[in-house]
Amino acid sequence: MASTGQSLTSLKKREATTANNRDGDQLIITPLGAGNEVGRSCVYMSYKGKTVLFDCGIHPAYSGMAALPYFDEIDPSTIDVLLITHFHLDHAASLPYFLEKTTFKGRVFMTHATKAIYKLLLSDYVKVSKVSVEDMLFTEQDINNSMERIEVIDFHQTLEVNGIRFWCYTAGHVLGAAMFMVDIAGVRVLYTGDYSREEDRHLRAAELPQFSPDICIIESTYGVQLHQPRHIREKRFTDAIHSTVSQGGRVLIPAFALGRAQELLLILEEYWSNHRELENVPIYYASPLAKRCMAVYQTYINSMNERIRSQYANSNPFEFKHISPLKSIENFNDVGPSVVMASPGGLQSGLSRQLFDRWCSDKRNACVIPGYVVEGTPAKTIINEPKEVTLTNGLTAPLNMQVHYISFSAHADYAQTSTFLKELMPPNIILVHGEANEMGRLKQKLVSLFADRNTKIITPKNCQSVEMYFTSEKMAKTIGKLAEKVPEVGETVSGLLVKKGFTYQIMAPDDLRVFSQLSTANVTQRITIPYSGAFAVIKHRLKQIYESVESSTDEESGVPTLRVHGQVTVKQESENHISLHWTADPISDMVSDSIVALVLNANREMSKVVVESEPVVSEEEDARKAEKIVHALLVSLFGDVKFGENGKLVISVDGNIAHLDKQSGDVESENEGLKERVRMAFQRIRSAVRPIPLSA
Amino acid sequence: MKTPSPTWSPSTALTSSSTAVGTTTLIPLFWSPSPGPTTPPPFYLRNVYHFKFLLKRALTWVAPTVDAVLLSHSDTLHLGALPYAMKKLGLSAPVFATEPVYRLGLLTMYDQYLSRKQVSEFDLFTLDDIDSAFQNITRLTYSQNYHISGKGEGIVIAPHVAGHLLGGTVWKITKDGEDVIYAVDFNHRKERHLNGTVLESFVRPAVLITDAYNALNNQPSRRQRDQEFLDAIMKTLRADGNVLLPVDTAGRVLELILILEQFWEQHKLAYPIFFLTYVSSSTIDYVKSFLEWMSDSIAKSFEHTRDNAFLLRHVKLLINKSDLESVPDGPKVVLASMGSLEAGFSHDIFVEWVSDTKNLILFSERGQFGTLARMLQADPPPKAVKVTMSKRVPLVGEELAAYEEEQNRIKKEEALKASLIKEEESKASLRTELPVNDQMVLDANNTHSSSNAIGQRSEAFRDVLIDGFLPPSTSVAPMFPFYDCSSEWDDFGEVINPDDYVTKDVNMDQMLMPVDGDLAGKLDEGSVSLILDTTPSKVVSTELTVQVKCSLIYMDFEGRSDGRSIKSILAHVAPLKLVLVHGSAEATEHLKQHCLQHVCPHVYAPQIEETIDVTSDLCAYKVQLSEKLMSNVLFKKLGEYEIAWIDAEVGKTENGMLSLLPLSSPAPPHKTVLVGDIKMADFKQFLASKGVQVEFAGGALRCGEYVTLRKVGDASQKGGSAAIQQIILEGPLTEEYYKIREYLYSQFYAP
Repeated sequence: MASTGQSLTSLKKREATTANNRDGDQLIITPLGAGNEVGRSCVYMSYKGKTVLFDCGIHPAYSGMAALPYFDEIDPSTIDVLLITHFHLDHAASLPYFLEKTTFKGRVFMTHATKAIYKLLLSDYVKVSKVSVEDMLFTEQDINNSMERIEVIDFHQTLEVNGIRFWCYTAGHVLGAAMFMVDIAGVRVLYTGDYSREEDRHLRAAELPQFSPDICIIESTYGVQLHQPRHIREKRFTDAIHSTVSQGGRVLIPAFALGRAQELLLILEEYWSNHRELENVPIYYASPLAKRCMAVYQTYINSMNERIRSQYANSNPFEFKHISPLKSIENFNDVGPSVVMASPGGLQSGLSRQLFDRWCSDKRNACVIPGYVVEGTPAKTIINEPKEVTLTNGLTAPLNMQVHYISFSAHADYAQTSTFLKELMPPNIILVHGEANEMGRLKQKLVSLFADRNTKIITPKNCQSVEMYFTSEKMAKTIGKLAEKVPEVGETVSGLLVKKGFTYQIMAPDDLRVFSQLSTANVTQRITIPYSGAFAVIKHRLKQIYESVESSTDEESGVPTLRVHGQVTVKQESENHISLHWTADPISDMVSDSIVALVLNANREMSKVVVESEPVVSEEEDARKAEKIVHALLVSLFGDVKFGENGKLVISVDGNIAHLDKQSGDVESENEGLKERVRMAFQRIRSAVRPIPLSA
Repeated sequence: MKTPSPTWSPSTALTSSSTAVGTTTLIPLFWSPSPGPTTPPPFYLRNVYHFKFLLKRALTWVAPTVDAVLLSHSDTLHLGALPYAMKKLGLSAPVFATEPVYRLGLLTMYDQYLSRKQVSEFDLFTLDDIDSAFQNITRLTYSQNYHISGKGEGIVIAPHVAGHLLGGTVWKITKDGEDVIYAVDFNHRKERHLNGTVLESFVRPAVLITDAYNALNNQPSRRQRDQEFLDAIMKTLRADGNVLLPVDTAGRVLELILILEQFWEQHKLAYPIFFLTYVSSSTIDYVKSFLEWMSDSIAKSFEHTRDNAFLLRHVKLLINKSDLESVPDGPKVVLASMGSLEAGFSHDIFVEWVSDTKNLILFSERGQFGTLARMLQADPPPKAVKVTMSKRVPLVGEELAAYEEEQNRIKKEEALKASLIKEEESKASLRTELPVNDQMVLDANNTHSSSNAIGQRSEAFRDVLIDGFLPPSTSVAPMFPFYDCSSEWDDFGEVINPDDYVTKDVNMDQMLMPVDGDLAGKLDEGSVSLILDTTPSKVVSTELTVQVKCSLIYMDFEGRSDGRSIKSILAHVAPLKLVLVHGSAEATEHLKQHCLQHVCPHVYAPQIEETIDVTSDLCAYKVQLSEKLMSNVLFKKLGEYEIAWIDAEVGKTENGMLSLLPLSSPAPPHKTVLVGDIKMADFKQFLASKGVQVEFAGGALRCGEYVTLRKVGDASQKGGSAAIQQIILEGPLTEEYYKIREYLYSQFYAP
């Protein structure tokens, strides 16, 4: 199992050169989104005629059709399975579109928690996205319809669809996040989605798969950056907030409603309970969506880590004492210091933007950006701390507020990525979900890390296909009667090769029904033919054609029967009928057909034949006749055929001479070509002249 | 059997025992070592469905040799012996279970322990033993293929949905492509909170182990049964009576709760419902987080409305009986553990309510043999029953002094013994231990066979163990050193570590009061603390006879497939070998006869401790299919299979694998096989669609005017393992004959 060649070509170009003998062994991976970018994750993979799509997201920086992955590049109707890793918009939000507006008819899987949050999140997305109706990718109804089609998979549960086996591991990124391992005909591909190898307050760390994949499609969001240790980040976070509120400032935490927000809330809740002096500073959490999702967080507690589960035994850790929900900016009584966590995380619009506009010019205030910010969003701009910012109303305002960038985003950093890959040792690594420069740096570093191994690291752009060849060894298991003895080299093995999915078994036909659900059948045929002549005539005629014609009498009715070629029984049913019966197989069918033809012929020639008495044909005469025919046929084939010594025939063609022994069929000749030809010709002539032997 | 590559050539042994009707089976199943260098690590699959005495005897000789334990359900029948086996019998194998089985099993054991401790000197195991037994359970999800490492390398186990109980498991054990399925107590019917089993999706396993418990039962439709159930309850409530439902701790009771909850919601009823076990609130709390293990409809309703079905509005959770007593009088429904009425809250409530004609006691499961529940389910029910009222009271005065003296003496003895053991060799110490156990066994058995209801303190427990080979007797000690045991025994016996008690208390706190967290308010200080504390106490029993005047009803809410379904499922699964366990002699025999006739020729119904050999007589070897050969193979697709005939020459690859190469000489002829399954009705349709006039006449299919087609030896008769189908085509020499033959051939594939 080795990849023998790779090339980066456009998908379109590849289609032009399809007539490839090794097509079946070609594995294609094409990012339709998230290739050298962050957002609209969607990776297409096809191998052995099976097609899998990983994730189906949108690009948060674009809107409408432009935000979609490049679905035009593929034929959605050919996709067998679509696997969604987690509920974030850049991984799941184009799903309703893909399910409802394209020809896709495969099956969709995600984890239980992902499915429950997916619906809430997308309904919210539809409501808040401020685009015109035409630009709307899907409606609330489409989301509801998609819910019907989404199937759930539990962590580690192995499913098989259409020969594709897949299962998922905990990814640690958000609640319900999964890494998918796909196994097609023994070739394993791991798609990590977004993952984190660090356990935090409520989530488990990503698991290390038990088996090494042949290809690892891995996120590269943080490239070669390193995260600070968690406790330092937490300290910076709480210190920044503490100092701001104690100076009378307000803290804005723009965060995506779900996922990391819950982690931050857990941190804040704990900090507030440990610091009595902060009791009067309110924490607001401005997301009705998150409130609705709480039921999901409370239910899927089993997907979280031991820490939170043991807390759960006493009280629900997601019921906060110090944090209160905030509906909208109108309900917000903005007096004195406060901490507000609001979405969206990129400050594009919504409550987080409104608060930002209001607070940005006061230097007492602070904005803590707690996670990865996507290129092109205002949050990305303010990280660089410009002097001025443009407000939503178009005016510019000075940016006086403190901006802290403390990443809590649960993506793997370089340390995690490199150890993860070192443990897994996949021979092929495909980087996706990373900004081009960051990804390039990661690639360089990984290349030098794996320099001593033959590891291939590829960073395809969107729609750029990675092609690999896997010549998978086909292994079969011989079972049952056939396997009673293990054959030696050179012996032959004959039997049924049964293929189910990608496993092969070889068995004797009798064992078929034992080891599979297939059954075998025997068809016995009985046909009656009108014939009023003498039975002996038929017998005689048959003897001329077949070597084995046994006569006997039927035990029940006492009528004479003939067994021709050991397979077909001819029976005189009555004065006017004879019957044939046999068990269907190609040879018997042919024999029976010839008998039928013979009987019909005998019927027609009846008058002529009956009078003649059977000429007693002596063996000698028979042999002489045969010899004559052989000679005649040889003459017609080779021209110059003479009788030589010892009853041999001398055949001369173009000066080459061959001696043929008529009894044994041995040929002697200087010329190999002639010798072979004469031998073959004689063999065929002989089998034509003689009656059909039983052993055939 | 000489097989070069790792091949499964095992012999399987199976032990089981049955003393009383339908109660006990012990089935250690193992694949004993096969000769050859690559011996597959043998495995025991054992189902211990036991009275603990029996368990003791039976497990003693197998426990240390068990390689893995697979738990299939969370009730005491399936895992009740685990703490005991772990503690006393040296069972140290890894244990596997699903998350709900683990969690609810733990709660069930707590409840069981607390109920028993309340009324008897229960000393088989302690809460600590339960904790330590459950601590190391490996939790799996459904359809998770778990590759066993170490001794069992190459074996894959996977739990699958069984129905019956939340998290209930049908275990599939795969080795070299051959499956052994362990499926006891499955339910194919979809219920409110559970999906039906997926047992039917397994086809042709090498061995199927199942139970005959329900082979003779037939069930009414679910709708009808639910209606009768609710009618009976409503009738009693309207007549101002109380309803007692003796239930299990965390199993079938969930279904009953949902039925009641839904009905109360629909009809806006105000009668109070109480769910009373020592662990009821934790149970429901955990159940709420197991939605992904429940039925599709529950999962769906949560996804759409975030309505957790176990957010109970009408059923109140109680963990103490005094709370029930503080409820104002009036008709009410109480679901109380334990189902056997032998101990626990159900027992106490039963005694109070039994002599009032207005009340109703509704059994939702058949009582185990010899229990009070079973006696009451007899027809006609007894007029009066003897019950023992027991209460735990603290020791005072002389008794206390005597107790303390006794304790000191025991301590000294144990210390002495421990030091002795340390000096001795582990092997020797094992020997001294064993006879003691055996002695106990005999006594216990005698008590048991004289079976009076009171003597049967113990529950029927059952659990499932899977394990490796039976080592030669001489190797017992080297493989499983007794030192481990003795050192552990030190911890428990000799040195009383105060920390142990601290942990236990913490655990209990978590167990008992997870929701509102006010322990003081919830617990009946007196009795529970007696159990938890080390305060010396004793059980005081009084025996009294109560008149049975209330109504008694039994309805089948056991959630097991009934006889007919079992038969059809078995016929569909069509195992090569079938092993029947757990069932009355009559039911087992019935099912055995049925299966011999219709399912497979190898049916075993072993007695307890009987070892049967279900060695797979399968031979197999692996070959590589060379590229050259495969490029010339044309597959024909038949359903999910693709088949082809191959003639190949055996060669060797570089690394010594056998490989198949194309033949150098022309292939020898071979007998023709027609592959396919023809259904006369389908074929009729097919012919009709081709414009041939067809009709059934006298068991044969008449095609056209003269041609008849008949099938002898119907395949459906014997399940999947049918003989070869025999089809007879008859007719005069006509064109039609050949046309129909052509159509018939088209139904088959002849490689």
